Amino acid sequence: MDFYYGMAQIVGVHTLLGLSAYIVLLTGQVSLAQAGFFAIGAYAAGMLTVLAGWHLVPALGVGGLAGAVTACAVGFPALRVKGLMLVIATLAFGEGVRIFFFNFDYQIARGDITIGPLGGEGFRQIRFFPENGWTTAEVMFFIWVFVIIVMLVLWWFDRSRYGAVLRAVGEDEVAAQSVGINLTAVKVSSMTIGGAIAGLGGGLYAHYTTHIEHSSFNVLVATFAIAYPIVGGLSNVLGTLLAVIFVQVFLVEGLRFLGDWRNLLFGALIVLAMNLRPHGLLDAQALARVRRLFGKDRGA
Amino acid sequence: MKTLATAVAAALAAMALGLPSDVTAQERTVKITGFGAKSGVIRSFGINSEAAMLAAAEEINKAGGVKLADGSKAKIAVEFLDDRCNAEEGISVIRRIYGTDAIVAVGPTCSNVAEPLFGILQKKVDDKGDSGLQMPVFTDVAIKGGLAKISEWAFRNVPSEFIMYSSLYYWLKTQYPDAKTVYGGVEEDFAHSRALWYSVMKDRAQANGYTIVGESKWLLNDANFATQVREMKKVNADILSIAAHPFTTCGLLKEMKRQGYKPKVLVGLTSSSTSETLQGCAKDVEGMIIPTSFAPVNKEAKFAADQTAKYKGAADLHSMAAWENMFILKQVMESEKISGDKSQVQADRRKIRDGLAKLKTTQGLLGVSKRTADREADKPYLFVHAKGGEWKVLHNPL
Amino acid sequence: MLDFLQAVLDGMLFGATYALIGIGFTLVFGVMHKINMAYAAASIGGAYCGLLILQVMAGASPWLVFLCAFASGGLIGYLVYLACFHFIPLSSPLATLMSTVGMLLLIDEIIVHATEGRALGYPAVFDDVMLRAGEFSLRGDLLLVFGVSVLCMAVLLFLLYKTRLGLATRAVSQQPVAAQLCGIRVTRVNAVTFVITGLLGGIAGAMIGASVGALSPLLTVPLTVKGLIVTVIGGLGSIPGAIVAGLLVGAFENAFQVLRGVTERDLYVMLLLFAFLIFRPGGLFAPKGGGG
Repeated sequence: MDFYYGMAQIVGVHTLLGLSAYIVLLTGQVSLAQAGFFAIGAYAAGMLTVLAGWHLVPALGVGGLAGAVTACAVGFPALRVKGLMLVIATLAFGEGVRIFFFNFDYQIARGDITIGPLGGEGFRQIRFFPENGWTTAEVMFFIWVFVIIVMLVLWWFDRSRYGAVLRAVGEDEVAAQSVGINLTAVKVSSMTIGGAIAGLGGGLYAHYTTHIEHSSFNVLVATFAIAYPIVGGLSNVLGTLLAVIFVQVFLVEGLRFLGDWRNLLFGALIVLAMNLRPHGLLDAQALARVRRLFGKDRGA
Repeated sequence: MKTLATAVAAALAAMALGLPSDVTAQERTVKITGFGAKSGVIRSFGINSEAAMLAAAEEINKAGGVKLADGSKAKIAVEFLDDRCNAEEGISVIRRIYGTDAIVAVGPTCSNVAEPLFGILQKKVDDKGDSGLQMPVFTDVAIKGGLAKISEWAFRNVPSEFIMYSSLYYWLKTQYPDAKTVYGGVEEDFAHSRALWYSVMKDRAQANGYTIVGESKWLLNDANFATQVREMKKVNADILSIAAHPFTTCGLLKEMKRQGYKPKVLVGLTSSSTSETLQGCAKDVEGMIIPTSFAPVNKEAKFAADQTAKYKGAADLHSMAAWENMFILKQVMESEKISGDKSQVQADRRKIRDGLAKLKTTQGLLGVSKRTADREADKPYLFVHAKGGEWKVLHNPL
Repeated sequence: MLDFLQAVLDGMLFGATYALIGIGFTLVFGVMHKINMAYAAASIGGAYCGLLILQVMAGASPWLVFLCAFASGGLIGYLVYLACFHFIPLSSPLATLMSTVGMLLLIDEIIVHATEGRALGYPAVFDDVMLRAGEFSLRGDLLLVFGVSVLCMAVLLFLLYKTRLGLATRAVSQQPVAAQLCGIRVTRVNAVTFVITGLLGGIAGAMIGASVGALSPLLTVPLTVKGLIVTVIGGLGSIPGAIVAGLLVGAFENAFQVLRGVTERDLYVMLLLFAFLIFRPGGLFAPKGGGG
């Protein structure tokens, strides 16, 4: 049973990572910086629980806040860069954050050992969960409370004006500007929210792996952050969740019985998925069909 | 068509996700699950460990298998899972293993997986307040120092680099009495290499009377070593100690040849004493001295190497630790009288943990290894050097 | 001071390898306005395929290996085009981005499976030639790589500006609909561009293998990142820009390695990129109307 709870934990945290990129993708910005905000949240939350003895919940709050503040700071210069250049700029930022943590030492002595992040060696022994006797199931529920809250908030955005404004900017910036939408406010706010979600996810990541280091937040993680919403489809938050399940449950764990072939199929199935469903697993058409299934069709 | 495809995929996933059920055959089996990296640049490590485990299991089973508490014999079944050198996946894998009837896990390959993995194990046995996983893990490869003390369920059978390099520098002093200075080359972003230079090589060289005159750094996927070699050339220390893996070691050595720099003595990283280094730069690595806990110098070692080769694995200090682990585990299973009963898996796991903790010595391929108080190993070792495209024994302190 | 200049020189020479891979990236951007994240991996893959000729003809000359890499690169380029660009509608740039990511992972894994993840020695030419220029020494093989990049640039510029194919390519990049109306087969032009960039990639991979002395899957991700940075600094779509930017990034890299150490080095390369994005977003050479 523990295995399934652990898997659900991974799906939860990766969904947060994906959702942080989702909200930014809605505005048409492809951000490979989410892994950087993820890292900031991870180190911040970890340091607060390990070095300052905080409880996990406020530590996660600070982690999310740190992610948000950094993202806001990144959001402004990101306005000046369009399209493909933004991808590379955010990639460079994410790598910059990783290298920062590669060089980051902050150790304090606790008895006869020192604890805290130690540059290339990473930040070890972030044991809030096991030390406080949390079972795997409890950790899973804890993570999912946050995931569900974030998903509800994003879903609510989608049904409100803010979501429409985000998507309007994503579809056509010029048209959006011409109806009076403040591009700066929209893009920076979406980046900030994305940063907050990533920071929160990072804090949770640090605690359930108990050991983080710079290489836990590399280019591949940044790429997966945008892969989830793209493969899942940008029409709905559930698309991202579906993509996370597709990758982490089906591809990573489910295909284990294929032994060595699993890794080859990984890349191949992503290529296939994009060819078969270029707008994502849960694109607008699929969503409409699901809605009809649930009888949400309002008349002819 | 698409719905059908999705349904089939979902069914496959559900099937595959189901934890592997044990085959209730005529004979009783006891399951040991290995795990490690079978992806990426360290794929060969996983392949070799798996081959060694399968070969060892075959030997044990040929001789009758493991004797259980009720007197019957059981065969050892081996499964190997790929954790892709990824912390999250490693944790997922150990949880998966915990959910099966495997009574012990052998792995991981990567030190950066071992740390988080040991971190989620129960720290102290019988600590009711600690909800960590209660699964004995007996490591064959992950070699970064001091990891087993993270949890009382973690045990390692890896050589102590501290002891080996200490002995090496001591011996070098006798062989090259004129050599006084040591210069280091270190892969900064790989935990094992970093730890080796800063905590082991530097310290032990100084303890043996050498002066450390500097160090050059690079990253594990660097390909340009011009600056580093110029630094080394300038200082021109007597002994160059390289704490780096085969790819960058070869790159560095090639640059050294290019700039015409050859130190008196070349010392390398334990993990570089494999065929990979020879495959990459056999000519340039000539003369490099590395301490290792395996070489096919006696009958048992040669036999283990041959058997592992049958399963398409290479024998080196890492994979042969896996071989040794299998025999040690068989011994512990018998001495602790495990039940082999599928309904008593957790009790058997506890027995194995206690059995491993009790061991004071274990039988290794090169001789007897001592077990330390913090669940590490003190293994017999020897020094090899690269000569004529092969790793030959240079000095056998045994 | 002399040491520092030598270090900068060493870095700049190594930057020739970045230049070579940057040319391919910038061509794909400039023409198709899409990122091919799999480009560096495909180039390294081509280089690995070059080694296959040694299986058939042990002791073949390095030039034969390079030729084989060149050809394989073209083939792989075409396969990448088919898998990632041919079937996906142009209106889904995110889908092509993601499919090239999938392709990158796939190529990486194929390499790992074929070689068990180990580094393979690569034949080199002039790899032990060190030229002296006064107080400084220069690596002979890297000068060759630089020579090859300049040659490639010349060939590509000739292709782009003096041939019908180049005309069609530029037309498609500027106005795909109008180009179609003029009778240019967009899909064929795109496929050919990918084959050409693939051929270039094969050479780049082979040259990189030759200068490093070994090939390893470790090379793919850093080369992808560097290639992308070089493309932006040089100007999206500008081939001479990619070469200059490659040398510049190489020089900067080494300069910062000497000044601030290897662990902080890449941070400064990122800052260099940001500086360009803020002060000169078009890159060193804004493209001459051939692209973006």
